[in-house]
Amino acid sequence: MNQFLTASARALAWSSAVASSRAARQVPRGGVPSVIVLVAGAIIVLNYGLLYTGSVFVLSACYAIVTAGMAVQIGFSQQIAFSQSVFFGVGAYGVAILNSHLHMSVLLSGVVMVVAAGLIALLLGSVVTRASGLALAVATLMLPLIAVGYVSGTDFLGGPVGSPLNGTLWPGGGSTTLVALGGGLIVVVLLAAVVFIASRILSSDIGLELFVLGVDERTAAALGVRTPRRKLELFVLGCVCAALGGVVYAGTQQFVPETVIDPTTELALLIMLFIGGRRSPIGAVIGALVIQYLQGASNWVSVNILIVEGVLLTVVLLVDPEGLSGIVQTGIAWLRGKSEPASAPADLAAAELAGAELAGAELAGAELAGADPPAAAVAPAASAGRESPDEIAGPDARDATLLEVRGVFKEYGGLSVLHDVTLALPGRGLFGLCGPNGAGKSTLLNVIGGSVAPSSGEVIFAGTDITRRPPHERFYQGISRTFQAVHLIKGRTVLDNVAVACLASHTASIVTRIGRSRLDAARAKATRTLADLGMAHLADREVSSLTLETQRMVELARALASSPRLLLLDEPASGLSEEQRQRLATLLVTLADRTCVLLVEHDLALVAQVSERIFVLSGGHLVFDGGPADFRSSPVVNSLLVGS
Amino acid sequence: MKFGNLLIAGITTGSIYAMFAVCVSVWYRVSNILNLAVGDFAMVGALGVDNLYRVKGLPLPVAIITTLVVVAVFAYLYDQVVLRIAQDGRRPIEGIVITFFFTFALSFFIDGVAKVLFGTDVHAAPTLWGGPALTLGSLNFERAGLLVLACAVIIGGAFWLYIRFTLGGKALEASGENSLGARIVGIDTRQYRRLIFIGTAVIAALFGIVESPITGFTYLSGATISLTGFLAAAYGGFRKPGRALVAGLFIGVLEAMLGGYVSAEYGDTVLYAILAAAILAWPRALGFESAVSG
Repeated sequence: MNQFLTASARALAWSSAVASSRAARQVPRGGVPSVIVLVAGAIIVLNYGLLYTGSVFVLSACYAIVTAGMAVQIGFSQQIAFSQSVFFGVGAYGVAILNSHLHMSVLLSGVVMVVAAGLIALLLGSVVTRASGLALAVATLMLPLIAVGYVSGTDFLGGPVGSPLNGTLWPGGGSTTLVALGGGLIVVVLLAAVVFIASRILSSDIGLELFVLGVDERTAAALGVRTPRRKLELFVLGCVCAALGGVVYAGTQQFVPETVIDPTTELALLIMLFIGGRRSPIGAVIGALVIQYLQGASNWVSVNILIVEGVLLTVVLLVDPEGLSGIVQTGIAWLRGKSEPASAPADLAAAELAGAELAGAELAGAELAGADPPAAAVAPAASAGRESPDEIAGPDARDATLLEVRGVFKEYGGLSVLHDVTLALPGRGLFGLCGPNGAGKSTLLNVIGGSVAPSSGEVIFAGTDITRRPPHERFYQGISRTFQAVHLIKGRTVLDNVAVACLASHTASIVTRIGRSRLDAARAKATRTLADLGMAHLADREVSSLTLETQRMVELARALASSPRLLLLDEPASGLSEEQRQRLATLLVTLADRTCVLLVEHDLALVAQVSERIFVLSGGHLVFDGGPADFRSSPVVNSLLVGS
Repeated sequence: MKFGNLLIAGITTGSIYAMFAVCVSVWYRVSNILNLAVGDFAMVGALGVDNLYRVKGLPLPVAIITTLVVVAVFAYLYDQVVLRIAQDGRRPIEGIVITFFFTFALSFFIDGVAKVLFGTDVHAAPTLWGGPALTLGSLNFERAGLLVLACAVIIGGAFWLYIRFTLGGKALEASGENSLGARIVGIDTRQYRRLIFIGTAVIAALFGIVESPITGFTYLSGATISLTGFLAAAYGGFRKPGRALVAGLFIGVLEAMLGGYVSAEYGDTVLYAILAAAILAWPRALGFESAVSG
């Protein structure tokens, strides 16, 4: 036993050295939680590894590997896929079969199964992740149901009993003590690695992408996130973590019962995730620990485990939907708040914005009129996607046609929403799009932005046919938009909301973010954009605490942050006061000097005041196309818009 | 007459799925919560009646009424205590936490209590209409199955009449379409959430009582029943009780046909594979796009 105590002391010393050196350098991204897991886990395994407590701990660590992956996929990115129990089974059964039938070592068969699970997940994921939201959840719910039917009917997998193993996770063999403790330590190291990777990804620029994807897939796509790719990556990540959990489960438990693939395993994992805190990998680990200890306790708790779990989950979620980790975080924040004087500013956002924004408009004007237009500051990903940055450098080129909509039709069922709409816009200027409710204005914007495909017709942008291109590619080419209802990302700061549009991570794989995050670069660019608009002081505010006007300004800042060539604004003035509208108008006119702005708006006075040309849609037909003077005097416009 | 008998069996199980699907989707309309504990109420109904009648020796009608009242009171208390804090409190729970996962806890709790009260063995409520199967030519009609069908028609019909023709039904529909709007025009959406929750819990319990002689229940049977209800509701787009009913019947018939003609052992596996493929192929047509929330 002595050698293990020495080893434990060494592990502790080494880990705390790592922790302190990291903490000294900078705020670590996921370092601290994984080191805590490593140190605490090693101590528990070395001290209690041979006791019942230790075996319960190792079992919970196996499940924690799965739930940490679920925190990334289901909790943080809200991609609900019920594939965990199946891939847990793939890992566990795979190891059992390779080990007992083919006499492969547990460690090697574990590696083989994790790789195999990754490949299976890639194939399966490329089919199921086409679905979104509830469709994804229900489609993947079939996986455990299908798997159960298969396993219980297959003798090769041990039939209704399960599969035994011949080997152990610890490769060396040796005494029972060594095998138990060595196996436990391997599980702890793998768990720490998974927590490290998960935390690194979530705190990176791709983590911000995933957060937006979780809140609203359409907004994410409009902001350049390659949603199909990210969804597939998340699915594979979740499945690989589940398979890894299954591998170490088989290696440490020595036996794979049929129940591992049961849908109840899926339920148990979800309960762990939600009790621990769905968004936090370390919370998911805590959840797995809590549930396994409750189940392993040999008293009335484990006898009535269902009642205990039901009550515990209900109470925890009622106190904080973010689970135990949320409660702990709130507690820490509360303690900090008590030690420091309250410094939260009163909600005077509108008043703060009023002065700042006028200054911002001037500032923006000054900057925009400068010799070097912000094209130079475009994110690498954005500029890479453009046809040719030089093309827009000269003033003449800017007046050439940028966007062409040719003969676009859109039908929903039998209902015609757009009927033969044709229009063309140059590289700069402000253009209004009006029409009564249901005229097809937002649909036309969606067709240009790419979230709705036209039934027929073409959309040409900068000489390229983009009719069939997905929204994120249009974003790279320089099309940026706001939404009729404010689509900000709740739970994130103003800075992060703007930084979403400055990300250069779209083409990068999720795995690259284990190494280095470029979130700081995106935030720096967002800070500049906010400063240009005179909103720098709002950077750290959480967006849902802001007034509507400020939220619309943040959305506008986000649309501008990517230095778009075409800016689509869907009713930016709705809900604003007259004074706020005038400030907005000033800003829009300034913007139109360098950018093409298409403004959908109900406020006719505002449209006529700022637009150089106005389009009117009615019943899906383009019924008017002309300057503001004609617009005011046109009988068509008057009967359509003023009369109603 | 294999086909005919399979069809009868399929319609019988299908009508069970359909009823639970209707319960799930009607309540989802008013609350935006998927009630995954609906099957546990059915289990409590069956095992509760069995316990009171067989073990405690109460007369059958008293046992049934007592069980239904207990279920109703429990549902009322759950709404008053838990759902009030969750949805009407200062910080309402939003998104997937409440929509998908909240009622798991309720399901676990009910199962745990049922284990303590009723034990772990398979039981069923007594048959309400005993006797040998009725035959019509070569077709066999189990009496319990006919009773299930009759209940489905009566309860389903009553639901439809209520939603279609009464002011309460209209208000219900309104609170489902737009909760805030409904409140503004004076509809107490919370009251409807409570009413429908209690109502669907009692209907589920009643169905458990009627259905249990066919299958037999343990304290863990609730999850399977909830799952079938959830699936059928999903294929009805979650918010459409009428479509959920059709989907439930369809799944039941498909299951019986696959079991009879394809493979008795792997029939369910094939069924689930078909259902998964259907969602991936036509998400919009099956109503999934509109049901996606946040």
